[in-house]
Amino acid sequence: MGLNYYQIKKNILRARKLVIKGTSAAGSGHPGGSFSMAEILGCLFNNHLKFDPKNPQWEDRDRLVLSKGHAAPGLFSNMAVAGYFPESEIETLRKFGSRLQGHPDLKCPGVEFCGGSLGTGLSYSVGIALAARIDSKDHHVYTIIGDGELDEGQVWEAAMTASKYKVDNLTAFLDRNFIQQDSYTEKIMPLDKILESDDVSEMWKDASRWKTGDKWRSFGWNVIEIDGHKIEQIDAAITKAKMTKGIPTIIISRTIKGQSLEHMEHNPQWHGQAPNSDIVPIINLELDSQFMISPSIIAGDMTNLENEVKRCVSGKADYVHLDVMDGQFVPTKTFDHSKIKELRPLTAIPFDVHLMINEPVKYVKDYIDAGSDIITVHSEVVDESSFGEIHDLLKQSQVSVGFSINPETELPEWSYKFLQSLDQLIVMSVVPGKSGQKYIEETHEKMKRINPILKEHDFSGYIEADGGINLENIGSVFADGARAFVGGGAIVGQQDVKSAIKAFRNEVLKSRRRGLLDKANELGGIDLVNRWIGLHVIEEKQDELKKITREAGYL
Amino acid sequence: MTDMRSAYSESLIQVGKDNPKVVVLGADTTDSLKTSKFGKEFPNRFFNVGIAEANLVTMSAGLAVSGKISFASTYAIFLPGRAVDQIRNNVAYPSPFGKKGLNVKLVTSHGGLSVGPDGGSHQAIEDIAIMRVIPNFRVLVPADTIAVSKLIQLMAGEYGPFYMRIARSKTPLIHSESQEFQIGKGITLRDGSDCTIAACGITVRMALEAAESLQQEGISCRVLDMFSIKPIDHKILEKAARETGCIVTTEEHNIVGGMGSAVAESVSESYSVPIKRIGVQDMFGESARDKEVPLLLEKHGITSFNMVKQVKEIRSKKL
Repeated sequence: MGLNYYQIKKNILRARKLVIKGTSAAGSGHPGGSFSMAEILGCLFNNHLKFDPKNPQWEDRDRLVLSKGHAAPGLFSNMAVAGYFPESEIETLRKFGSRLQGHPDLKCPGVEFCGGSLGTGLSYSVGIALAARIDSKDHHVYTIIGDGELDEGQVWEAAMTASKYKVDNLTAFLDRNFIQQDSYTEKIMPLDKILESDDVSEMWKDASRWKTGDKWRSFGWNVIEIDGHKIEQIDAAITKAKMTKGIPTIIISRTIKGQSLEHMEHNPQWHGQAPNSDIVPIINLELDSQFMISPSIIAGDMTNLENEVKRCVSGKADYVHLDVMDGQFVPTKTFDHSKIKELRPLTAIPFDVHLMINEPVKYVKDYIDAGSDIITVHSEVVDESSFGEIHDLLKQSQVSVGFSINPETELPEWSYKFLQSLDQLIVMSVVPGKSGQKYIEETHEKMKRINPILKEHDFSGYIEADGGINLENIGSVFADGARAFVGGGAIVGQQDVKSAIKAFRNEVLKSRRRGLLDKANELGGIDLVNRWIGLHVIEEKQDELKKITREAGYL
Repeated sequence: MTDMRSAYSESLIQVGKDNPKVVVLGADTTDSLKTSKFGKEFPNRFFNVGIAEANLVTMSAGLAVSGKISFASTYAIFLPGRAVDQIRNNVAYPSPFGKKGLNVKLVTSHGGLSVGPDGGSHQAIEDIAIMRVIPNFRVLVPADTIAVSKLIQLMAGEYGPFYMRIARSKTPLIHSESQEFQIGKGITLRDGSDCTIAACGITVRMALEAAESLQQEGISCRVLDMFSIKPIDHKILEKAARETGCIVTTEEHNIVGGMGSAVAESVSESYSVPIKRIGVQDMFGESARDKEVPLLLEKHGITSFNMVKQVKEIRSKKL
């Protein structure tokens, strides 16, 4: 089974947009804390929780307790996406007569806990877990705790109790976003090593300061520490937690308050403030503009691909891109599924497997079994029937479905009917077969032809740019609509993969910022542009935005 | 003399046998409240959370939302005192599927001044007032062990949050084994036509003694056991007001917000008559050895002698 990566990703995006819609319509609410736990809830709802929206009281359902109740919009949005109620109901959030109260409430079927008063959810969850034990039920209890909540003594009362009673049918998540209502956690009530310098960014950047896990370990808990925005890490942590017996598990998830929106990220102001309706379209565009970097390991040392995977991991890649070439569809031969199987245990990072092989329908199962998370096949070697078969098999196996076209290939008409459920579309910008080629400039024009087709057929997947992507062209490729970027020589071919990936990200960010400023200008002229810039108060983003605005001639 | 805590313990084991859904939680006072006996009988349905009242209450709520009937106990000074937020937000407020609150029963001992030597820090004189203002909670103060046993049975059988306060000291039997108890219904222990004393807890016995003394002087005094403070029995109070014309209330709790307040609120809205509240005079208690407890109660006017005096005074104020 694959990670179900793009499905989770798409649902997280839907949920984030609903958070914005709901809080904006309400004129209040807590988007920041809803966004920091967005990936956690996305993984739970899409891959782990047992539930039935038609029967919210199903006895054997897993229980989700949102102890950090102020992040209710995040919970409600996921419930809407999961089908508990229509997505339009999110607009009643916090309004008179709504089931969607300011804080989670049993009034809304499917909600397990009335949150609001912080620090109590873990005790409540221990009660639920013990009840399940008495009844010999095997459902699991998941509890999301905020880091500010750890100020409450009751959390530690519950921690001791869970330990005493060996509550292993409970998994807690700590949403460690470093921000509470008044300010940064480390300024209000430090959880980590005392912050000596004035640079608050040390809190989340300097890992040697992090001591929160030690606290939980000393209370007898199994502690797993992860990046709380990485779907694969969350997924793996949940799986590990459920296998851990005789001891409760906490997954300490380092997150970013307001994650996905630059102006909200790490900014305490967005703890309990809703976005104005006039910036909502810009926000939605930014949410649609999340991107992934996918280094292609064949650009490295082919005799030591294990090491190339490790370099991707330490370089903080989003995917590992694996180019499978059979020496027939393309002249070169690289490796097959057995190599992928060998590499799989090295990392949880999604394997973005690009099959440049003849008759992929014959072999796709081998690649699923090898542990691929995304499998892309070429349009040139499938037809409607064989792609249909591949599509269905991948979906059943929770592997994301990719489709690729060569530079000289147009999107075949028969493929249109698959666009709606397609997860990834690779538009090749070099002739596939070997790395180190130059980006074909005509691809920009091709994207202009393809984008309207995708829109017309409700494509909700991600476009991956593959071939000759480098720091010079990545910004314009992003502007064309690509959201995943394969980097060969420009990343894996570099000495320092981490810096190369970072440089890629920075270039995309520049392009994205420009796009968002264009949107602001289009919607509200210079006033809105200035308001948008004014929202960016953390770190040096504001200067960067001003520079882009001057260059664009808006100022 | 019988012991309310023993009666509580025995009743718990009985309801635990009758209903496997019953679970019991304690906070390092399980020997004192004798709930540890339930733990010996049903080890997997008994949880001692240590000195952690907040956790005690919220865990009870988690068990209750999963279908259990949770009995959580410790001393009245800590519960509600230490955990009002948890009682309100985790027990009273969550209302699944049109029900009111979760199925949690808070039973506390050591209510009022009769706690004795531990002193003012341990004498809960506010618990009734605190619990009375929380929606969905029902509040009971039984007068003897028969009431304790019967009310535990009732609470176990009736859905929803309850608060019940019992006394530390041994108490004489007031009721007969055949006495029926209903939540929300007071009990007329002695009929009378000149005045009514409405009492609860250990003051019921004093009220009966006062009525006996008054009888000697030719004054006919009605005595009500108002063990159900919330919901309160408006009918029995209105009847007493109409038929006896004045009411004295008595309790070992602050006169502000306690049973006396509940009676005054009820009577003023049905058939207003003069009312005198006997109880702790909005001040804290203090240490008194067991044999000195009567002196401490006397300091606050909680004696049958003072009840007699107040009845005589209030009769002169009848409308």
